[in-house]
Amino acid sequence: MDLQRDTEHTLLADSAERMLSENYDFSARHGSQADQGNDTAWADDMWRQFAQLGWLALPFAEEDGGLGAGMVEISILAEAFGRNMVAEPYMTTVVLSGGLIAAIGTPEQRADTLPAIGEGALRIAFMGGAAGDISVDAAPSGDGYVLSGARKSVIDAPMAGRLLVPARIGDGAGVFMIDCDATGVTLRPHRTLDGGRAADVELTGVNVSRAQLLGGLEDASGAIGAAIDRTIAALSSDAVGAMGKLVEETLEYTKTREQFGQPISKFQVLAHRLVDMKVSEEEARAVTTLAVLSADAPTDMRRRAVSSAKSKVGRCARFVGQNAVQTYGAIGTTADLTIGNYVKRLMVYEASYGSTAHHAELYAAIIADPDTAGAGLLLSPAA
Amino acid sequence: MDLNLAPEDVAFAEEVRSFIDANLPDATRRAMTLTTAFLNEPELGYEWHKILHEQKGWSVPSWPDEWGGPGWTPVQKYIFDLESARAGAPVYNGQGSRMVGPVLMHFGTQEQKDKYLPSICSGEDHWCQGYSEPGSGSDLASLKTKAVADGDDYIINGQKIWTSFAHKSNRMFALVRTSSEGKRQEGITFILLDMDTPGITIRPIIGNGGDHEFNEVFFDDVRVPQSGRVGEENKGWDVAKYLLEFERGGALVAGRVRAQFAKVVRLICDRGIGQDAHIRARMAEIGADLDTMEMVDIRVLSDLQSGANPGAISSMLKMRWSSIRQEVSELALDAAGEDILKWEPERPLYDALQLPPDEEELLGIAPRYLNFRAYTILGGTNEIQAEILGKRMLGL
Repeated sequence: MDLQRDTEHTLLADSAERMLSENYDFSARHGSQADQGNDTAWADDMWRQFAQLGWLALPFAEEDGGLGAGMVEISILAEAFGRNMVAEPYMTTVVLSGGLIAAIGTPEQRADTLPAIGEGALRIAFMGGAAGDISVDAAPSGDGYVLSGARKSVIDAPMAGRLLVPARIGDGAGVFMIDCDATGVTLRPHRTLDGGRAADVELTGVNVSRAQLLGGLEDASGAIGAAIDRTIAALSSDAVGAMGKLVEETLEYTKTREQFGQPISKFQVLAHRLVDMKVSEEEARAVTTLAVLSADAPTDMRRRAVSSAKSKVGRCARFVGQNAVQTYGAIGTTADLTIGNYVKRLMVYEASYGSTAHHAELYAAIIADPDTAGAGLLLSPAA
Repeated sequence: MDLNLAPEDVAFAEEVRSFIDANLPDATRRAMTLTTAFLNEPELGYEWHKILHEQKGWSVPSWPDEWGGPGWTPVQKYIFDLESARAGAPVYNGQGSRMVGPVLMHFGTQEQKDKYLPSICSGEDHWCQGYSEPGSGSDLASLKTKAVADGDDYIINGQKIWTSFAHKSNRMFALVRTSSEGKRQEGITFILLDMDTPGITIRPIIGNGGDHEFNEVFFDDVRVPQSGRVGEENKGWDVAKYLLEFERGGALVAGRVRAQFAKVVRLICDRGIGQDAHIRARMAEIGADLDTMEMVDIRVLSDLQSGANPGAISSMLKMRWSSIRQEVSELALDAAGEDILKWEPERPLYDALQLPPDEEELLGIAPRYLNFRAYTILGGTNEIQAEILGKRMLGL
C-alpha cells in the first residue's frame, strides 16, 4: 500500500503541467465556433511535441518501442490534460486503441502500429462506446469479413488515420483495424460539445482481411472491456484535473469579486459552497486513484473500482460544474469565460464510455451482494 | 503506487482476523448488532478489552509499547481497527485510549502518565469528556464552567452537557475557565478529575432513539487537585486542539460503516427490493461514497506511513464519514418500510429482546437512524468542519 508519488511521478506531473500551461493555447486550438478545422497544422505540431516528450510511447512495452510506464503515469498526464483542456486524440489513440493493440494484437499488428503511434505518425480512433455497446456487424466472407454498421460521434475520428472497430462476429465481438479512407467508410466530421473533433462514421460493406482482426480473435470482449476501463480510469483523472481548475478559478473569483462592499468569499454561504466543491474534487481524486490502481486487477475488482469511480466522479463533476457557474453569477452562464469550457469538458466526461447513470447501474449490480458490499479496498498480494 | 498490503501485513491481518473469530463471544457479536447508540455500552466493551489486554496486549492499539501498547506501524493499526470494526468487535473507552491517553503522552507530567496511562491500558478506568456546555456548543471557547485556584486545588462550579457515558465513567477530562481576561481561548485550562468527587451531579439525557448515552454534569463547589491540570494554566485550548487533531475517520469508522452497509445490502437482497429504483440508486451512490472515503482514509494512512502530514483532511473525513453513516442508516430505514413501526422502549435492546435474529435486527433500525443524526453534530458539527476546511484548505 503506497499512494505517494515518487520523484519521477512528480517530475512528470510538473513537466506536463509546465509544458501545457505554457504552450497549449486553448484559443489557438479551439478557434472560433465557425472555424471547422483550420487548426490542423497547429494540432500536428502539438502532437509532434507530445511524441518528442515520450508521452505517446509512454504505456507501451519496450519491445513495442514504448517506455513501459503504467496507469499511474498515464493518470498523471491525463490530469494535466484536463487542467489545460487538451483536445488531442491521446485517450483514443494511446490509451484505448494502443492499449487494445498492445493487449491482444499479433506481433505483426503491434509492430505495424505501436512504434508508429509512439512516434506520432499514426492516430487511431475507436468506433465503440461503453463495453458491450457495439454497432457494427462482421459477416464472414471468403478469407475475411464484411463490416456494416454506423456510429455517431466517434471521438477524434477526423484526426485519425485508422479506426479500431469492435464488431459482432456471431456471439462474440472482435476488433478490426481499418483505414479511415478504406472503400465503404464514410466520415462526417463535426465538433464536439467541448471543442474536440468527432465524426459520424458509416461502414457500408467494408471488406477486411483476417489480418485486420486484432489477435485473430473472434471474441475479444474481455480485452475490449479492460481497455475501455483503463480509458475510463485515465479520463477520470482528466476530469479531476478539470475540476481542480474549476475550483481554483472559482475560489480566486470569489476573493476578488466584490458585492455589498466586500469580497463575496466573505459570505459564509459561498465559503461553505466552495468547501463542498473542494471536497467533491478531493473525493473524485480519491476514487479515481482506486480506478487507476485497479485498472490491471482481476476483472471483478477492476469492474467494481471503475464503475464506482465513473459514477462517483460523474456526480462530483456535475456538482462542481453547476456550482462554479452559480458562484460566478450571470457571467458564469456566458461563453466568455474558460469555466464554461471546463463545464463542457466535464459533460463530455459524463457522457463518454457509459454515462454516470449507466455506471451507477453496473455498480449497483456488483454491490448488490453483501460480501462484495462488505469488502474493503486494500488488497492482499495473492488476490 | 499500489493498494497491495505487504506480505507481513497480510499475515498480520490474518492473525488479527483469526484471533477475533476465535475469541469474540457470540453474545457480544449479537449485542453489537443490536446496539442502537452510536457508542456501545462500556460493559460490553470492557469484557473484550480485557480479552485483548490479557491474551494479546492489544487493548490500546494506537499506543507505543512503552505504555503497554503494541507499538504498531500505522498500517498495522489501520488493519487492526478495520478488522475489529468489520467483525463487529466493541470499542471500549475511546475517550481514554484515543483521546486523553495521547494527550497525556504529549503534555502530561511523568506523575500523570504513571497515574493514568496504566489503568487506561488495563481497562480499569473509563473516561468521559467534559467539553460542551449549555451555552457553548460550536462556540466552545465561550465556555463558562469556572475553576478558581484555592491552595493546591481548584474549586469548580458550572455545568457540562452531552457528556457521553458520564454515568459509567470514573474519570473526566474537562475544559474549564481559569481566566476571564484577554482572548477567550487564553483563559481555558485542561483538567483531569474523578467523577466520585463530592459536588458532581449527573442527570441523564435520553436520546430520541431511546438510548441513554448523553448526560448533563453539574459542578457545585467541586474540589479538584491542581496536580490534575494538563499543561499550563490558561493553555488548555492548545491541549484541546492537539486532541482534535486525532483521526476523524480512520479504519474504525470505515470498517464499521462497511459492516453496516453490508448488512443493509443483505436486508435489501433478502426482501427482494434490490430492483426498486430508489433503493437501487441509493445503494449504488452510498456504496461509491464509501469506496471514495475509504480511499481518502488509505491516502491518509499512506501519508502517515511515509511520514508526511495529512493536513486539514481530518475535517473532511469527519464531515463526509458522518454523513455517509447517516445515509447508511437512512437506506436501512427505506429498506425496512413499515417494519420500523414497532418500537421497543427498553435499552439496551440485546437485554430486552429474545426474538429470531432477523426480527431483532429490524427493531434497531429506527432507533439507530434517530441516534445517528448526532454524527454530523458531535465533535464539531459539519458546519464547523466546513469553517475549518475553508480556512485551512482554501484560505478563506
